[in-house]
Amino acid sequence: MGVHKQERDTMQQKVLLQVSGLYKTYGSKGASRQAAPVIDGASFSIRQTETVGLVGASGAGKSTIGRIIAGIEQVDKGKLIYQGQDLLAMKAKERRAATRSIQMVFQDPYESLSSRMTIEQLVAEPLVIARLHKNDPAKRTELVREALREVALSPERYMHRYAHELSGGERQRVGLARAFITRPQLIVADEPTSMLDTSLRLDLLGLMRELSQRHEIAYLFITHDLALTRGFCDRLLVLNQGQIVETGTPEEVTENPQHPFTLRLIEALRELDQF
Amino acid sequence: MSRIGSKMIGWLGAFLLAIVLLLAFVGPYLVPYDASEQSGAPFQPPGKEHWLGTNDMGQDILAELVVGARTSLTVGIVAALLATLIGTVVGLVSGYSGGFLDAFFMRIVDICLTLPFLPLMIVIGVYIGPSLLTQVLVITLVMWAGKARKIRAQTLSFRTRGAVLAARSMGAGHFYILRKHIFPSILPLVIPQFVQAVNVSILMESSLSFLGMGDPLSKSWGSILFYANSRSAFLTEAWMWWVIPPGLCIVMTVLAFSLIGYYLEERVNPRLRAYQAPAAKRDRRLAQEKLAAVKPAAADALLDVQNLTVQYPKDGGTVRAVDAVSFALRKGEVLGLVGESGSGKSTIASAVMQLLKPPALVSQGAIYFAGSDLTQLSSEEVRRLRGNRIAWIPQAAMNALNPVMNVREQLAEALRSHQSMSKDEIAERIDEVLAQVGLASRWAAAFPHELSGGMRQRVVIAMALVNKPDLIIADEPTTGLDVMVQVEIIKLLKNLQRTLGLSMVFISHDLPVVLSLADRTLIMNQGKIVDQGNTLALAKTSTHPYTRRLIDSIPRLTPALEQRSLQGQGQR
Repeated sequence: MGVHKQERDTMQQKVLLQVSGLYKTYGSKGASRQAAPVIDGASFSIRQTETVGLVGASGAGKSTIGRIIAGIEQVDKGKLIYQGQDLLAMKAKERRAATRSIQMVFQDPYESLSSRMTIEQLVAEPLVIARLHKNDPAKRTELVREALREVALSPERYMHRYAHELSGGERQRVGLARAFITRPQLIVADEPTSMLDTSLRLDLLGLMRELSQRHEIAYLFITHDLALTRGFCDRLLVLNQGQIVETGTPEEVTENPQHPFTLRLIEALRELDQF
Repeated sequence: MSRIGSKMIGWLGAFLLAIVLLLAFVGPYLVPYDASEQSGAPFQPPGKEHWLGTNDMGQDILAELVVGARTSLTVGIVAALLATLIGTVVGLVSGYSGGFLDAFFMRIVDICLTLPFLPLMIVIGVYIGPSLLTQVLVITLVMWAGKARKIRAQTLSFRTRGAVLAARSMGAGHFYILRKHIFPSILPLVIPQFVQAVNVSILMESSLSFLGMGDPLSKSWGSILFYANSRSAFLTEAWMWWVIPPGLCIVMTVLAFSLIGYYLEERVNPRLRAYQAPAAKRDRRLAQEKLAAVKPAAADALLDVQNLTVQYPKDGGTVRAVDAVSFALRKGEVLGLVGESGSGKSTIASAVMQLLKPPALVSQGAIYFAGSDLTQLSSEEVRRLRGNRIAWIPQAAMNALNPVMNVREQLAEALRSHQSMSKDEIAERIDEVLAQVGLASRWAAAFPHELSGGMRQRVVIAMALVNKPDLIIADEPTTGLDVMVQVEIIKLLKNLQRTLGLSMVFISHDLPVVLSLADRTLIMNQGKIVDQGNTLALAKTSTHPYTRRLIDSIPRLTPALEQRSLQGQGQR
């Protein structure tokens, strides 16, 4: 699959999202206390159809960056330029309209799907929220079927079931179908595989890759597992203490790490790799 | 309370309520008298004419009870509806919006919670006159604040739930989230709250009326009692038919709503359902009697698990979480137990520690530790072994350290619960064990929140080691740590194993972690051991398809291996 991606020269693609000088401190409002910032001036960009991996230790601020982009976390300072528009300068309502094509897949396949809704209602929720095809329930149902087929879940078998009847892997695919149904340009995937069993992780990544190839989706793939990014990500961002300390293809980063933090991370992984 | 018992209680409540409702709605057609008119001689005892007799003015008491039922239920239900409604709206808005609105509403709630309802009733009664409306107003005013607080607490916890975050990431507005996600989540809480509110307001109404602060023109159970008391019912025999029936009505109604409220509350919160332990013990004994004789423990084994089966009831049948599992652990050996979630690996650990969560129970098999079968020991005997000779590192233990005790105190507590040592000996042992897990002694005074994840995990390991156990059972000790810390902890455990000769059962879903630590590895799937062997041999040469699939799906940094695993992926 790597071959296919390399043929498309991602350097030629237009920038989809430009993040610059992001800064965030938790806790004390206005950062009057001397709390260490979670995000400390992170800057990077994501091009159209590009899969960008964001790796780092726990507590490095990976999830916070993802949540800021998805609009569920406030930011203290910085700029988010999405499709040429400055998101942070917008009012909440305008921003929601402008970022309809940014969707998110969450880490926890159990918590992120409401237990009161059927799979059909869950997958259709972005349409309901965006008031798309409001008076055309048949069209909505058709879109749900299509989205489920895209993630290799048979609509007939799954549409009327509830999330708690599904396995973790199936639930995560429902989450992916839900993110996909509005035909997004960018999906923020926050550790989507970390709560899945080992044997299901590569399945989900394979599915995500197929989806992006068919429908030209860019991913921000957040993970603590560098090994997963090989063969999946076009480019890696290494985050340490709220700053991007290194960037490059997964091959460059793993074979020739520059920053001391990346070096330590890779040494640790190599150690687990020996047997 | 068993499920059937709580259902019975619910039905009993419904039955009592039905009697009260019958009195209120069918009563007027059965009783031929007007409650406010003289229909017989004063102080007439119960008889054919007047079933429950008459009062001092010759009014029929049954007729009064019927009117009273209507008044009490109306005031109770209207006040409860208002209080629940206001409480829910305030709680939702306050909990969801946070910030200024929250602070504002919560101060009002604080004030309302301190309002004494009797003086309030007198004050309001003076201004707008005693009436049903006054009663409703006062009862609502006194009750809504408590409801608001409970609803707010629930809303706060739902506000940051995954499903709500997901909706926000899809661009949902606040109103949509409140309507579609938060309100349905708290609804199961609102309904029992309402039932309890009805209960309390009926009681309040009766008390107010009994004290003469109700509507003087409308009869309620409380005001019947008020008149009986003030017009000398207790000087004659009349109290028997004048005081007891309204009293019984109040008791019955309050009891009805209490029982229904209890049933609803328990249905919403299944954890309240206490488990009937004696029945389970009996079940286990029965199962144990049926059990075919197991072999005595193998001589060289520290832990010898034979034919262990753990089952729990589900949907009328039983599910075997662990299905006839046998394995043995020699002294100084590290045994890896690998399986995906739900494979039963943690259940084995709980069974060995004799800490299975009911209704799960060991239905077959034996667990020999140093020669004696743990399943046959008394709970006191097991308690003495636990944490002492068998140490347990439970899942996510590093997040469960006591936040108000420093490291030294936690270790001292673990020591003191099993040994009698002097202060100096304790201090010495703590320094020794901290050194073993690679924590400088200055960290002994630190509290858990001051430590990093890796350091907390070291403290957990120190707690396991402090009593010099013979066996350590470590359940997912590296899960939730990032790779660098994982490697540190594995190195530490390896080192400890070598220097102290530890015997350990190491449970993890993370195959690479187990492979890098265990001497022997068992692979579990759906409650059974599907593959086992020397760890190296298992990793390199196992032909079992499930084992191969697990090994092949490990992502690698090394390109050659990675290519193989990805190609395998593409072909599937």
